[in-house]
Formats: sequence, structure tokens, C-alpha cells
Amino acid sequence: MDERAILDHQFMVAAYVVTWAIQLGYLGWLGLKWRAQKREAARNARNPR
Amino acid sequence: MKKLAIGIFAVVTVALMVWGFYQAIYVAPNDAMQGEIFRIIYYHVPSASVAFLFFAVSLIGSIGFLAYRRSNPLRAQAADAWALAGAEVGVVFCTVVLTTGPIWGRRAWGIWWTWDARLTTTLVLWLIYVSYLLLRRFVAGPQMQTLAAVLGIFGALDVPIVYMSNRWWRTQHPAPVFGGDSSAGMDPSMVGALMWNMLAWFSWGVLILLLRYRVERGHQRIAAQEAQEALNA
Repeated sequence: MDERAILDHQFMVAAYVVTWAIQLGYLGWLGLKWRAQKREAARNARNPR
Repeated sequence: MKKLAIGIFAVVTVALMVWGFYQAIYVAPNDAMQGEIFRIIYYHVPSASVAFLFFAVSLIGSIGFLAYRRSNPLRAQAADAWALAGAEVGVVFCTVVLTTGPIWGRRAWGIWWTWDARLTTTLVLWLIYVSYLLLRRFVAGPQMQTLAAVLGIFGALDVPIVYMSNRWWRTQHPAPVFGGDSSAGMDPSMVGALMWNMLAWFSWGVLILLLRYRVERGHQRIAAQEAQEALNA
């Protein structure tokens, strides 16, 4: 592989990795938010004001 | 039953993502001029399409909220949840577009960014919807949802401008893949891979959108419950 092809490959991998990092990062954040919400709902059900 | 349906949908989505990746990396040929860097298009274009679609969901939700906020508050809350979910997931996909684009541009053009019409209008779209999310996060009071709905409608006006930008003006951005003139488009050997990735990312987006909607509905229920308890105390 020449240097140009190697660089092309590295940039393509970077783009795919960044895409998945953004998508999975958001999914993880959403999962944490959901879990915190479930805990809050359970706490409110146990201890109504 | 509902959980089972969502579970099956999630499995189908993951299978589509794997198949789409396989098509993009191993089946589609290298571009004659650009070589391997061209394969970024299989993530970039579907992300842009899904972002546009979810901003449209946000637009419909915002209009629905404004239409029902007095006559049917329950329906208005559901519409507001759709508006938020559409905007937030749309921003995620738009962020992918604004990061994969410059990575491609650095190799293809030799620069990370240029202030051409397509890139600039996309950045403006992203900024509008980020400000929408910031408004929802930091503005308190009963008018917040109304203000957000108005901003959501305003932001959606930029979507057709972004879509048409490289048709209306001469841009450095490549010609449209779909709906362009005779010189635009792509080789038939690459269309299959693009379509599989469109389907895969659409499916992934819908899955995340449903999850975000559900979280927001849960948040609304907890907030309503707490408000009721505060009134009763």
C-alpha cells in the first residue's frame, strides 16, 4: 500500500470510529438517564410526600 | 408483547447495522478518484438523511404542542415529548454529519472546513437545535415548552435550505447523491451499499428516538406527580 492509501484508510477508520463513539455515547447517556429516572420513580412510590 | 416487539426490532436493527457495515467495507468498490476515503459516504449521507427526518418529527411535535396546549393538554405533552426526542436525536445525527464531513474533506480537499453554503447552513441548523436543547435545559417556568416549540418550528425552516443549498448555489460540497442533475448521483455498484446503510441508520435512529421519547414521557409523569403531591401537601 502506498502512503496515500494508508492515510485514506486511517481517515476512513477515524470517521467510522467517531460515528460509533457519538452514537454509543449518546445511547449510554440515555441509558443512565433512564436508570436514574426509574430509581426516582421507585423512590417517589415508596416515600410519597 | 410491547417489550418483545421492541426486542425484535433491536435485534433486526443490529443485524442491519452489521450487514450495512459489511456492504460498505467489503462489497462496495473503491471510488476511482477518491479511493477508500469515499466509503465515509456510507455513514455521512444516511446520518444527514436521518437528521433531517428527525428534525421533521420535532417540527410536527412542536406544531402539535402549540395546537393542543389549551384544548388537550395530555396530547400536547405527548407532542412535546416527540418534539424534544426528534430534536435531540436529530442533533446527535447532525453531529455525526459535521464530524465525518470534515474528516472526508481533509483528505479529499486538503482542508477540514470551508464556509460554503452546504457546510455553513448545516452548522447553523446544528446550532439552532443545540440552542433549542439549551433552552429546554435552562429556562424554567410554564412558557418554556411554548418557547421551545416556536424555536423548533423556526429551526426546521433551515432544513430545506440545507437540502437545497448545493442546488441553489455553487458549493465546494459534492453534488447531491439523490435528486441532483444528470451529472450528480453515484455508480450503480455503490447504490446497494448506500441503501442498506440508509435502512440500517434509519432503523437505529428510530430505536433511539423511541427510547428518548419513553424517557421524556417518564420525566413528564414524575414531574406531574411531584406537582400534584406539592399541591396536596
